[in-house]
Amino acid sequence: MSETASDRSTIDALREDFRARIAAASTDAAVKTLADEFLSRKSGSVTGLMKTLGTLPPDARREFGALVNALKQEIETSVDERRQALAAARPPADAVDVTLPPRTRAVGHVHPLMLVRQQVEDIFTHMGYEILEGPEVEDDFHNFEALNMPPDHPARDMQDTLYLGSPIVGGTWGAHRGSVPDAQVRAATLLRTHTSAMQIRYMKTFPPPVRIIVPGRVYRRDNLDLTHTPMFQQFEGLVVGEGVTMANLKGTFKAMLTALFGDVKIRLRPSFFPYTEPSAEVDMSCHKCAGAGCAICKQTGWLEILGSGMVHPAVFEAVGYDPDAVTGFAFGIGIERLAMLKYGVEDIRLFYENDVRFLEQFS
Amino acid sequence: MKVLLSWLRDFVDVPGRPEEIAATMSVRGFAVEGIEHLADGDAVIDFEVTGNRPDCMSVSGMAREVATAFGLQVRRPAVSTSIRRANAAGENGPALHLASLKTVERGDIEIVIESPELCPRYAGAVAEVTIGPSPEWMQSRLRAAGVRPTSNLVDITNYVLLELGQPMHAFDHATIAGGQIRVRTARPGETLKTLDGRQRTLSPDMLVIADAEHAVAVAGVMGGADSEVTAETKTIVLESAHFNALSVRRTSKALGLKTEASMRFERGTDPRLPVTAMERACALLEMIGAGTARGTVVDRYPVRVEPNVLKLRRERITGLLGVSIPDGDVRRVLEALGFALRDADAGWDVTVPTRRVDVTREVDLIEEVARHCGFDRIPTTFPALTVPPPPLDPRIARTRQLRALATGQGFSEAVTFGFTSAPAAEAFAASEAIVPIKNPLSEAFAVLRPSLLPGLVESAGRNIRRGQRDVQLFEVGNRFTRQDGESQAIAFIWTGAGRTPHWSERTRDVDFFDAASFVSTLADTFDAAARLQPLATPPTYLVAGQAAEIIAGGKSANGGAASTVRVGHVGRLTPNVGELLGLPAEVAGYVGEVDIESLAQFRRTALKATAPPRFPAIDRDISILVDDTTPAQAVRDTVRTLALPQLVSLREFDRYAGKGIPEGKVSLSLRLTFRAADRTLTDAEVQSAMDDVLSALETKHGAAQR
Ligand SMILES: [Zn+2]
Repeated sequence: MSETASDRSTIDALREDFRARIAAASTDAAVKTLADEFLSRKSGSVTGLMKTLGTLPPDARREFGALVNALKQEIETSVDERRQALAAARPPADAVDVTLPPRTRAVGHVHPLMLVRQQVEDIFTHMGYEILEGPEVEDDFHNFEALNMPPDHPARDMQDTLYLGSPIVGGTWGAHRGSVPDAQVRAATLLRTHTSAMQIRYMKTFPPPVRIIVPGRVYRRDNLDLTHTPMFQQFEGLVVGEGVTMANLKGTFKAMLTALFGDVKIRLRPSFFPYTEPSAEVDMSCHKCAGAGCAICKQTGWLEILGSGMVHPAVFEAVGYDPDAVTGFAFGIGIERLAMLKYGVEDIRLFYENDVRFLEQFS
Repeated sequence: MKVLLSWLRDFVDVPGRPEEIAATMSVRGFAVEGIEHLADGDAVIDFEVTGNRPDCMSVSGMAREVATAFGLQVRRPAVSTSIRRANAAGENGPALHLASLKTVERGDIEIVIESPELCPRYAGAVAEVTIGPSPEWMQSRLRAAGVRPTSNLVDITNYVLLELGQPMHAFDHATIAGGQIRVRTARPGETLKTLDGRQRTLSPDMLVIADAEHAVAVAGVMGGADSEVTAETKTIVLESAHFNALSVRRTSKALGLKTEASMRFERGTDPRLPVTAMERACALLEMIGAGTARGTVVDRYPVRVEPNVLKLRRERITGLLGVSIPDGDVRRVLEALGFALRDADAGWDVTVPTRRVDVTREVDLIEEVARHCGFDRIPTTFPALTVPPPPLDPRIARTRQLRALATGQGFSEAVTFGFTSAPAAEAFAASEAIVPIKNPLSEAFAVLRPSLLPGLVESAGRNIRRGQRDVQLFEVGNRFTRQDGESQAIAFIWTGAGRTPHWSERTRDVDFFDAASFVSTLADTFDAAARLQPLATPPTYLVAGQAAEIIAGGKSANGGAASTVRVGHVGRLTPNVGELLGLPAEVAGYVGEVDIESLAQFRRTALKATAPPRFPAIDRDISILVDDTTPAQAVRDTVRTLALPQLVSLREFDRYAGKGIPEGKVSLSLRLTFRAADRTLTDAEVQSAMDDVLSALETKHGAAQR
C-alpha cells in the first residue's frame, strides 16, 4: 500500500504543480507547452503514470487508474478553459494601441508682437476707436513739418531718420471710408520715424471729432542691442474734439493698461515732444512687484510705458483745425515694450529672430 | 546736466537728501539719470534736460526750477565792490559775486557786428592774466560736472557756462589784428584751423568771429587755434555773446562739430545774459587770482530782444487739463519761474522771461502751471463718445483672417525688418526696381525690401542652423519697389517635412504641391480661384521647372470669363539664393509671395447663399494617354472650352507614367462630375457629354482612352 500512497502523493503533487502553472500561462503557446508537459503521448508526466498502471495489481490499478484519469480530465478541462479565456481576452483583429502618439496637424503660432497688437486693437475698438494703418514710407511734411518740427528743428535729432535714395509712391489708407483725397503718399522720401504721421493725414482729411488708433512699423537709424532695433512697432492714438482734456488722456491709459496688465496705477511725468503741449511720459506701477521694487522696474516700482500729451495748437493749425474750438490728446506706445513686459522678454532682438522655438510659446 | 548739490545750494537753500530732490524734480519734467555720492558728503544729480529747456542747462537754471518746486527763493549773483581772493579752503570761492564793469561804446577792443540778425548781441572785455592752474575748489566743481579742468582761464569760461548757461570764449589779445572783433559771415573759401587742430573750410552762410584780417573763431561753435590762449598769454579778450540758434545749429551740423557752447546756442540762449556772464567771469578772474579785468565792457546789442507778453485764460487751463487750478497757484508757480503776471480779462497777461525760448504760446504757460502744480492733480475721466464708432478697417480685418488661416495651415508668424542688403534684394527684384536708403545704418540694411522673402529665408536659415529641420514661416507686411511703390503682401517659406511625421507612415518632405496648396487656400479666402502658370524663365530665386506665376480670378458660378490678374509667385527656392541668405544649400525650401491688394479685389462684398443641390450628381472617371509634356491645365482648359452646362467639376485623381505606358506618354485619370439643377441626369445625357469630352481631348491632345 505504501507504493499506492506514494503514487497518490505523486498525483497530488502533479495537480498542485499544474494548478499553479496554468494560471500563469498567458499565451496559447505557454498553455500548449504546459499541456504537453503533462499530457504529451511521449513524455507527459500524467501519460507516464498511465503507463505504470499495467504493472499494478488489478485493485490498485482500478483505484489508481481512476485517480489518474480524474487528473487527466481536470487538466484537459483546465487547458480548454484557459484557451477559451485567453481567446476571449485577445484584442480584436482591428484593435489599435491607443497609447501610441496621435497623428498631428501642424498648427502655427501668432507672433508675440502681433498678439499684443491685436489685444491693444481690441481694447481700443471696444472704446469706440477707429483702427487704421498708414503707409510706412512718408514725406517730410507729414512726418515732421506738420508735427511742429520745421526743417532744422532740434527735435528732429531725437529721431534719427532713414531717408530714401529716391522718392517712391507710398501705401494707401482709409479705403473703408470711401474716397480719401489724401489717401496716398505721392512722393515718400523717408521711412516714417513714428506713426504720428497718420495724425496729420487723418486730420487733414476728416473733420473732428477724431478717435483713432494707428498701429504699424516705424524706423529709426538705431543699432541693434538689447532694447533697440532699427525697425519697431508702435501704436499711435489720437482723440480730438470739443472738451477733450488731459484728464481724459489719463482715464484712457488707465483703462488700456489695466486691460493689458491687470490692476495697475499710472503716473504722468512732464516731458517734451514738439507735437504735444503739455507733454507727458506715462509710467505704470510695476505689474510684477506691485510697486515694491524689483529687477524689472530697476527697483523704482514704476515702468515707463508711453509718451503722450495734448495736441499742440501748431499741429491743429497745420491741418486746418481751430485750436480754440477743439482740444485733443495723442500718444505713442512701443509694442515691443509692451510685449517685453507682458511676456518677460529681456532681449528685444528675440522678436526679430523668428526662432520657431521662441514663437511656439505664444498662442 | 550734472548738478553738484553744493553748487546748487549756492543759489537755493534746498533741504533734504539728493534722492528727495531727484524724486521731486523727476515728476516736474527733469528725469534723473543717476545720483553720485561724493566722498566729502556732496552729491551730483544727473538731470535729463529736454531739448526745449536750454535755460536749465546750467546750475542757476536748475536752481530756479528747484526753488519753484520747493517754494524757496533763489539767490542771484550780485555786483560786489569787495571781491577778495578766495582762500585755500574755498571760503568765498564760489560766492556769487559779479565784477563791476562800465559799459563803453569802444574800449580796449573795437567790436563791429556785420550780421546783427545772426548775432543780436556781442559783449567783449579785456583783461590782464597770468595763466596757470585754477584752484582746487573750481577744479573739483568742474570735474563733478563732467568737465576736465585745464588752465585757470579756460576753467573760468567753463565755470560760467555751467553756472549761468552762457558760453564764453577767450582770445589771446596779441593775436587779434587791429584790436578789432568783427562778427561777420565767412568769406567764400575762407579757412580756419579750429581748436581741435583741424583745418576747416567755411561757407558764406556760417557766422565767424574775425579780427581785422581773418576769422578767429566759428561763432558759437569753436575758437580758432591761432588765437588760442596759451601759457604765454598776457592779455585776453573775453567774448560773451548771443547768436542766432538756427545759424549755430546749421554751422555745427555742417562742420560736424558739437561743443558745449554749440549745444546751448542751438537750443537758444538768453539775450539778456551776456553782460552778467561777463561780470561773473571778471569777478572769478580776481577771485582765483588769474588776472584783472580792465573794468570796462563793450556791449554791442543792435537787435534788442524784448520779452513776449502772452494771454493766459483761466477757462483754457481748465479746458485743457480737465481740472481747475486756483488763481493763487497759477500766480505762485509762474512768478517763481520768473514770469510777470498782470490781471487781465478772464485771466492774465504774462510777460515771458527772455531765457524761456520754449514759451511762445498760451499752452506753454499752461504746461508750466500743470508741471509744477503736479500732474497727479489731474483726475481720471473718459472722453465722451459723440459720434458712432466707424467699422474696423478691412485691411486690419483681412490681416487677421490671413493670420488665422496661415497658422491653421501650420505656419508660424515671422516679423522681419523692412530693409535688407542689396545682394539679398537683387535676388528677388531687378536692381533698377530696388529703393536704396540714402543713409543706411549698415550694408545689411542698405535697401528697402522689394519682397518679404529675403527676411523669411534668413529666418528659416537661422532656424535650420540652430538645429530645426521642419520650418514653416509666414509674414504679412509691406514691401517697396520703385515702380509699384509700397504694397502689402503675404509670403511664406516651408522646409523639411511636408506633413507632420507619424510612426504609421513614411515621412515625406515638402514639395511643390504643399506650397501650391497654401496658395490655393489663400485665394479661396478671398473668393478667388488661383491658377498656377508654369514659368519658362522663372525669377532668379525660383528653380526652373518648379516655378509658377499665380494667376487669380474671380470665382464665378456660371463659368463666365472673369478677368484674371497675376498676384504672385510660388515655387522651389534656388539653392544659391538660399545660401546667400544663410539657408544651407542642401535644404529644399519652397516659397511663395502674394500681393494682398490684388487678391483682395476678388472678395465678394455681399455674400448670397444658395440652397444645396436637390438632385444627385453623377461621376464619370476616365483615363487617357497624353504626351507627358501636356500640362494638366491644358487638358482642363480643353474640357472647359466645351462649356458643358452640367459639368460641375473636373479633377485629376491620378497621373501615372512607367510600366505599361509608352515612352513619352502619361496616363491621366480624370473625374468629371455632372449635375443638373432641375432633374436627375440620365446615363444617356452624361454619356453624350463624355463622348464630347473624349472627342475634344483626342482632337486637341491626341489623347487615347485607356
Ligand atoms: Zn517691479
